[in-house]
Amino acid sequence: MIEITCNDRLGKKVRVKCNPDDTVADLKKLIAAQTGTKWDKIVLKKWYTTFKDHIQLQDYEIHDGMNLELYYQ
Amino acid sequence: MGSSSKKSKDKDRKRRHSSRSSSLEREYREKKHRHHKKHHKEKKKEKIIKQYEYESDSSDVIEVIPDEEASTPPPPKIQCIHSPEIGHGQSSESLSVDETNKLRAKLGLKPLHIDSKSDKSSKQKEDGKRKDDLGEFYHKPAVNIATKHQQEKIREKLTQHKEKRHLDQKLSKVKLLGEADSDIDDTLKWIEKNKKIVKARQEAEKRAKMLEELDAQFGVGEVVESEQRLKRNLQYTEKNLHGLEVEHDTENFKEGQTIVLTLKDKDVLDEDADVLVNVNLLEDERYKKNVENKKQKPDYNPYDIEDIDEFGNLKTKSLLSKYDEEIEGTKKNSFRIGFDNAAERRQVIMNTVKEKLANKRLESLQTPELTIASDYYSEQELAKFKKPKKKIKKLRSKPQTIVSDPEGSKFYTRRPKIKEDTDTIITDDVPAVDIKPDIKVEEDIDDTLERALHKARKLKQKEAITTNSFTSVSGIKDEPQEDGLDPGAIVLNTTAEFCRTLGDIPTYGKSGNREDTEDLLDYEKDAHEDVEMDMEAVEETTGGWNAVDPNRSQEVSVVAPFEVPILDEEPDVGSGVGAALKLAMSKGYLEKEDKARPSNSKLAHLQAQHYSIEDKSYGEDFDRGARRERYTGPIMDFKERDAFKPNVKLEYIDDEGHVLNAKEAFRYLSHKFHGKGPGKNKIEKRLKKQQQEGLMKKMSSTDTPLGTLNMLQAKQKEMQSPFIVLSGGKHTHSTTISKPRN
Repeated sequence: MIEITCNDRLGKKVRVKCNPDDTVADLKKLIAAQTGTKWDKIVLKKWYTTFKDHIQLQDYEIHDGMNLELYYQ
Repeated sequence: MGSSSKKSKDKDRKRRHSSRSSSLEREYREKKHRHHKKHHKEKKKEKIIKQYEYESDSSDVIEVIPDEEASTPPPPKIQCIHSPEIGHGQSSESLSVDETNKLRAKLGLKPLHIDSKSDKSSKQKEDGKRKDDLGEFYHKPAVNIATKHQQEKIREKLTQHKEKRHLDQKLSKVKLLGEADSDIDDTLKWIEKNKKIVKARQEAEKRAKMLEELDAQFGVGEVVESEQRLKRNLQYTEKNLHGLEVEHDTENFKEGQTIVLTLKDKDVLDEDADVLVNVNLLEDERYKKNVENKKQKPDYNPYDIEDIDEFGNLKTKSLLSKYDEEIEGTKKNSFRIGFDNAAERRQVIMNTVKEKLANKRLESLQTPELTIASDYYSEQELAKFKKPKKKIKKLRSKPQTIVSDPEGSKFYTRRPKIKEDTDTIITDDVPAVDIKPDIKVEEDIDDTLERALHKARKLKQKEAITTNSFTSVSGIKDEPQEDGLDPGAIVLNTTAEFCRTLGDIPTYGKSGNREDTEDLLDYEKDAHEDVEMDMEAVEETTGGWNAVDPNRSQEVSVVAPFEVPILDEEPDVGSGVGAALKLAMSKGYLEKEDKARPSNSKLAHLQAQHYSIEDKSYGEDFDRGARRERYTGPIMDFKERDAFKPNVKLEYIDDEGHVLNAKEAFRYLSHKFHGKGPGKNKIEKRLKKQQQEGLMKKMSSTDTPLGTLNMLQAKQKEMQSPFIVLSGGKHTHSTTISKPRN
């Protein structure tokens, strides 16, 4: 289990527990559940790389305690 | 989105404030409408103001529910964990594991695997293994040094304790002095102890007797005895030692001393007999040898001093005696046990004494009888007496240096040196003139002596000739030219050569500048002359009235065999290169270097005017000195010549042969150096200048350039008048010229 912090810098900061073998889409769903936005409206980024839905977190080397940028589309 | 939210807000407001009086609302609406037409900013301000107004108006709480949340399904009841800094926007919320699991279940995801992971991590820690980044290898964890140290400390302590315990145990068994004393002090106890011991001994004796008796009964004793006897027979005794060799000198063994001998080490396969040695004695010997080695003087024995051994005899030394030991091995004294070699030893001593005496010579004290010494050598003595060989010295008169000789001073002054060289040191680099096979150059050095000898020879010849001349003149011609000269050889002497080169000096020989009339030059005189001279000589010898001066008559009668050519016939060039070279040499086409004498050549006029012999010798001396001192270094300090003041004059001459002054020379060199000549104009200018200069030089100082003065003078001469009238008109001019004629 890893815990990831997602922050749009507009007032929402969520810590989400997930498995490293979850896909980015799963993570988005979890985030959506916590924040109340639709999951398909969520964009996760780290610097300029936008994470794609079908790829596992461990493949993006997303580890415990990492900060992701949360955007909406 | 913004617009929709606005709308909803408006609705809310409507809803909320519906309970209020409609008039107010209307007013507000109107206002709003009015404002709507105006600025947006104002409107915003107003909004805020209004809100405050409302709040102030009504104290009820307004709940603002965001629109977005309404659209999405409301999140399950979340136990919000607020981060410590609860800014309004910076709060981070997270679900607990259970809640997330529930959520995941709803979303259709597998639950979080917390347990397994934690298990894994714990397991990893227990194993002390760690996966590397690739997950391929497990790494052994690094050892914690602190724990290691601790373990070591503890272990040490434990071992110390153990040792202590051991020691304590040991010591506990040993009786201390005090305790022992207490035992001995108790006499009763001690007596008892002794009694016990005595009893035990007696018992043991008894038992032994019993056993013996038993043995006797069974006849064991006899068997044992026989065995013992056998053993005694087999024992190694003196008999066995008889004839064994001991490798030590007998002096080492003294009466009453026991020396243990052992068998000497040897190879297993050796078939030599056993040798006995004493280890201590061996070591002593080795020590002695080492000391000897240390004492040994170095091998260098320059005066060949002979060693003397202990008996005072001279040791006979073999060649390179120091290696004898290494080659033949060390000599060792040895004797055999049981053989008395006293006689031998005596013999040896006798021998040494004999040797000693053999080297000594007996001197008798008697002296030989005195006899009278004779004045003369006996025959034997004479035979002994050797006459010292006479050293045949060649007489050499000192060479004359004739500087004033017309043939060239250099030649004369140089020659003697070369000659001396050839006499004393025969070196290759000195060109030996006389070695040449066919061409013989007579030594000019020995002029005086040579001349004297020559004279003597001539006199003899003359006598012969005079006697012959009575019979016939032609006989003279057949006379061999000179002794010891084979006809194939060319005789060159300086005079001959000089004459050859000189040839056409008209005054030579006529003015009587020759030293001797009877010089060798005579040989080159014409045959006619010779004949005439001969005739004269005959007349003189026959005529009775003249006071005969023998010298004079001989002088005059010097005769060379006539028609003998100076140079022999030319060698056959066809026979080979050598012959050709010979010819060339004889003709003078080829010149040897040492014969290159510029003073003698026709180029003499080109020689340096102020060249002096001193200069030459100086240079040569210097050169020779340099050769000598190449290895030793100069013996004397370098001396500067005081008189040496060279006259150095630098002159530059351009391509046309003009002598340049400093400025021009610089320009010329500069142009040459830079490879860039002056411009065309410059060249023309300079040419013009040069021409003018030339003209100026050519111009006579007494006349005008057009030669007017000359013309005038010529006219005067022509007219034979002391004056000339100068006038402008042509006619007048002609008239003036014509006038004096008339």
